Amino acid sequence: MKIVIVTLLFLFSWAEASFSQVAVIAHKSVPVDEIKKTELLDFYSGDIKKWSDGSNVIVKDLKPKGDVKRIFYKFLGKTPSRMKSIWLKSMLSGEGDPPEAMKSEEEMLQKIAATPGAIGFLSHTKVNNNVKTLIVIGKK
Amino acid sequence: MCFLYLVAGEDNQIPFFRIIKMTLKRTLILCFLLLAIASAGAQSEEKPLRIFGYFQNSLQQWTAFQERPKQNSFSLQQLNLLFQKDLGPSWTAFVNFEFLNNFSSSRQWGSFNLEEAWVKYRASMRFNLKLGLLVPIFNNLHEIKNRTPLLPYIIRPLAYETSFSEFIPIEVLTPVSAFAQAYGFFPAGEAKFDYAVYVGNSPNISNDPSRGQTGVDTTATFLFGGRLGLRYGDLKLGLSATYDKDNSAEDLADALNIARTELSAIPKMRFGGDLSYNFANFSFESEFIKVSLEKDAPKLERNLDFYYATLGYHFTEALFLYGSYWLLDSHAALPALPNEIKEEENDDIKVVTFGASYNMLDRVRLKVQFARIRLDEEELQLQPEMMVRRTEDDFSVFALAISVTF
Repeated sequence: MKIVIVTLLFLFSWAEASFSQVAVIAHKSVPVDEIKKTELLDFYSGDIKKWSDGSNVIVKDLKPKGDVKRIFYKFLGKTPSRMKSIWLKSMLSGEGDPPEAMKSEEEMLQKIAATPGAIGFLSHTKVNNNVKTLIVIGKK
Repeated sequence: MCFLYLVAGEDNQIPFFRIIKMTLKRTLILCFLLLAIASAGAQSEEKPLRIFGYFQNSLQQWTAFQERPKQNSFSLQQLNLLFQKDLGPSWTAFVNFEFLNNFSSSRQWGSFNLEEAWVKYRASMRFNLKLGLLVPIFNNLHEIKNRTPLLPYIIRPLAYETSFSEFIPIEVLTPVSAFAQAYGFFPAGEAKFDYAVYVGNSPNISNDPSRGQTGVDTTATFLFGGRLGLRYGDLKLGLSATYDKDNSAEDLADALNIARTELSAIPKMRFGGDLSYNFANFSFESEFIKVSLEKDAPKLERNLDFYYATLGYHFTEALFLYGSYWLLDSHAALPALPNEIKEEENDDIKVVTFGASYNMLDRVRLKVQFARIRLDEEELQLQPEMMVRRTEDDFSVFALAISVTF
């Protein structure tokens, strides 16, 4: 019995650990291999719309509320509602559209891999070789 | 190839000019087909026209004040229809139509305005250019003053409350429109330095057909303005200024028995400052606007000062509570009238307001607001003998609203 409980506790803690890491991913063509928090915030707030090579930054958001989204926006220093307010302001002022929200992390991975200039985020465990990881957020 | 073969095959039976005619005809058909394909390709690269907008419906209860009885009123306070089209990677066209106060032309209610119609060229974050009818950058709230879904208020800080424009001199307090604006920001570490410069009409827009074309500034004056700002994390601050020449005092000329030109093109300066800061769940924003129109001979002076400060608290992700104080202070010193009466007018409007907004959905926001308003009006007759006439009044406004983005 003790072994079962210990195993379950280990599994739960492992699952928690895997959820607590979020990877910021981008299309393989983007001209950077890593990104800082301030640059990421500039992309997500719409202040900067181009990569250093002049290609368009295409920002993707995640629709489902959960740990991945919470950790990502906490890293940016903004609540999801604050970000939505920034996007709404941009949209209503004609300065830019809100990012497309992906229905799942699987869709996020596919879209980022297929869209040149795209950047998004998902659980670190779901990243594959079709995209570039720019930064990993959260404790291991 | 097939086309050439057909022509060659029929060579012996068809006269030469007929071959030429057929060749031309088929070439034309081919050209049209190619053009159609090319045109379809070009169109598919363009983004479609986007139509969206927002509206705010409100219920307001005003207690009695001065001559006005208590009133309850449902109204479609504001509806904006926006049209946007990306014309290319760096070009965007944007049109904003605004309907105010249950607009109905047949009933002569409210108003319908073309608020914005501009094209923007975005070269980089450092340089953007907007050309066309636009709302210029002046203080923090000015640019989004009529974006009701972004604001927690139902009744906005007075300098920005478009639906009160019949009795608050909004167009004097803020630059309503400009026609060319360059703006952008320069990053320096984690800080960003914002700038904006613009040019537009002075407010001397003609509605008199006998003076020429209506809807345009028929004088030779312009509005010049700009803003310099700093953003650092959740801190945002800026200083704004505009300069133009105003003809609004011309109507006094008849009463003063002087030529209208004596009171035309009075220099008007606006200064503005804004500061906003978010800390934890708190948000603070404040602004000042100072407007002065001054002329030495004949001596004419008009000053308008506006201040507001709002402290808010994000109780949850969806619920925002706030308290705010607004002050509009107006001072006018008129030239001595022909009978040597010299007058001054000092009017104050002070507002203390509390409210809350709740985001039911991403695009549906419920709002509630209570405002206590104090009016102080003072007329001073300085010459030939001192006389003071004071009017004071208080009233309250309670309002509920729903703001929807579609």
